[in-house]
Amino acid sequence: MTPKYLLKRLGQAILTFFVTMTVSFLLYQAMPGGPTEAMRSVILSQSGGSVDIDRLNRMIQLYTNVNPDQPMHVQYFNYASDVILRQDLGTSFFKNEEVTTLIMQRIPWSMFISVYALALGYSLSIFLGVMTAYREKSRFDSTVSSLIIGLNSIPYYIVGVVLIYFLAIQNNYFPTGGRIGSGIAAGYNPEFMLSLVQHAALPAISMGALATSGALAMRGNAIRVLGEDYIRVAQLRGLRETRIATQYLGHNSILPMYTQFMIGIAGVFSSAVIVEEVFAYPGMGLLMFEAVKTQDYPLLMGTLLVFTAISLTAIFIADLTYTLIDPRISVGE
Amino acid sequence: MRTSNQNDSDPDQDVVFEVRDLEVTFGTNRGESRVVRNVDFDIYRNETLGMVGESGSGKSMTSSALMNAVVSPGETSGEVTYYPPDGGEPISVLDLDEEELRKFRWGEVAMVFQGAMSSFNPVKKVRGHFRETLEDHNRDVEAGLERAHQILGDLYLDPDRVLDSYPYELSGGMKQRALVALALILEPEVLVMDEPTAALDLLMQRSIVSLLKELKEEYELTIIFITHDLPLLTKLADRLVVMYAFDIVEVGSTEEILYDAAHPYTRSLLNATPDLNAPIEEMQSISGSKPDPVTNIPGCSYRPRCPMADESCAEAEPPMADRGDGHRTACFYHDDVSDEIPIPAMEAAEKGGESE
Repeated sequence: MTPKYLLKRLGQAILTFFVTMTVSFLLYQAMPGGPTEAMRSVILSQSGGSVDIDRLNRMIQLYTNVNPDQPMHVQYFNYASDVILRQDLGTSFFKNEEVTTLIMQRIPWSMFISVYALALGYSLSIFLGVMTAYREKSRFDSTVSSLIIGLNSIPYYIVGVVLIYFLAIQNNYFPTGGRIGSGIAAGYNPEFMLSLVQHAALPAISMGALATSGALAMRGNAIRVLGEDYIRVAQLRGLRETRIATQYLGHNSILPMYTQFMIGIAGVFSSAVIVEEVFAYPGMGLLMFEAVKTQDYPLLMGTLLVFTAISLTAIFIADLTYTLIDPRISVGE
Repeated sequence: MRTSNQNDSDPDQDVVFEVRDLEVTFGTNRGESRVVRNVDFDIYRNETLGMVGESGSGKSMTSSALMNAVVSPGETSGEVTYYPPDGGEPISVLDLDEEELRKFRWGEVAMVFQGAMSSFNPVKKVRGHFRETLEDHNRDVEAGLERAHQILGDLYLDPDRVLDSYPYELSGGMKQRALVALALILEPEVLVMDEPTAALDLLMQRSIVSLLKELKEEYELTIIFITHDLPLLTKLADRLVVMYAFDIVEVGSTEEILYDAAHPYTRSLLNATPDLNAPIEEMQSISGSKPDPVTNIPGCSYRPRCPMADESCAEAEPPMADRGDGHRTACFYHDDVSDEIPIPAMEAAEKGGESE
């Protein structure tokens, strides 16, 4: 891997980030009742209409990093330089706190359930894909394949609601919401850990359902790889079945899906917006959802930028690590 | 044990494989497809046995059955007995359980087949292929890799360069030779080569063939060489097995088959062999088309295409007639064949040889 290639990919990622930021900034400003308008009406209604214009504009600038008096391109330039140079995403209207602080508080929780969901969904995808390919056309294959098609036809939030109904309300195996049981002290003790996992389980399962869509593609790849000469030669060479299943079949079947898996990280992350609302799980997604409901533009813009950054990072990592899993891909040309 | 005269097909020869009543069948929606029918033959230790026949005559299936490696859903039945060297217990290959079979494969019988280009795992270095083979057969890995170096050197490859390469970094000929080296890594008794040269150019073919001769001497191998390239086999094989329609029609030493073929199919096959020295009008293709594995032809299976066929050929299947010196053929009229179907090229060559 050459430094030139690295720089090129990094440059592309940064460019994409800028484009996203610009487009969403412009769209927000262009909306009727955009951020400054909304802010103005909020302040006016709170103060009963007795605020002078200069003070009002200063307050708006403080919160949104945008001065409504300035022309659009200057506003944009100020906003962008705040984001890039000072990592300042503005201040939330309603929570009255720095957007960055709010996001930093929430992000570990979203990461937790997303990683949990990805690990669950992808390992299940790979495992079921390989197993159904091994037993192609058997009863096991048709059952699992139809289940996965069914699961992927049901939106993940419906899966979430169904899970809550059966496992939390009817049976009480899991809590219906929240991220930790009340009255449990944080720390490395078993009750805390158990409560953490119990609260994350249902959101992770419903997000993981989204990630199992890979199983069918995996099945197709594995069936193709099973017909390859090197699998037959490996069997003739008397290699152990487990080695053939993992290093020969598994590895070669994952190759075409690797990038898709990495892009899937972004998909699972963004599904957090709905899932966290369904499970009342206070993570990034719920933060964004609340921002939408309360027209909290700085917060909305901030969470959107963070989601973009996560997706871009995942794709960037996928690009850089592809050579590690497939030596035939050469980068640098 | 080495035989002093390899052309002498003595029935008391040291047998390494004994195949009896071998049948391979596949169920299809048109009915049962029998792709190997009632095959009997022996393979002698340290010989090179050539198998010829047209595409789909059952050559590859027969050789796969030696390792009980017929692809599913194929069913193999009959007896395949392997005699280990130094008088060990005979092994009935078709009765081995999964773990025993895994150990038997590659350890006793290794196979190099047509698709050498795609016989390596594309994401694993060549060294990894050698290493995992040694590991899964519980061999000493370091000593084995030493050996790999030596074999690759014998095959005129640069051992370190090849071992440190991914398969895609090697040329077709290099991959082919690396696969031969991989086949020899566990010091097998028998090496089955299923059209190992089909995808290579003529020069590469000849160099692999001469390498095989050297390897056979050096590693005391028994080689089974499958091809439809008859001229290639005549340079390599001690004995030939001719297959037609899923069964063996003629067996004998290479000389016998070449100069005294006693089955109409073998003679037509020799006539159909391209030879730059022979004028084009003397080259003859075999008329008719090859038989279908689902249909059963009563009597002799070559009858529909045979110029000598008569009613008796339709009534009964000709048994293997012994013509002496281990030369056997499945034809009622094996004594008359040489008059009925002359081989002009061969006669010309003989005349030429006499006049010189």
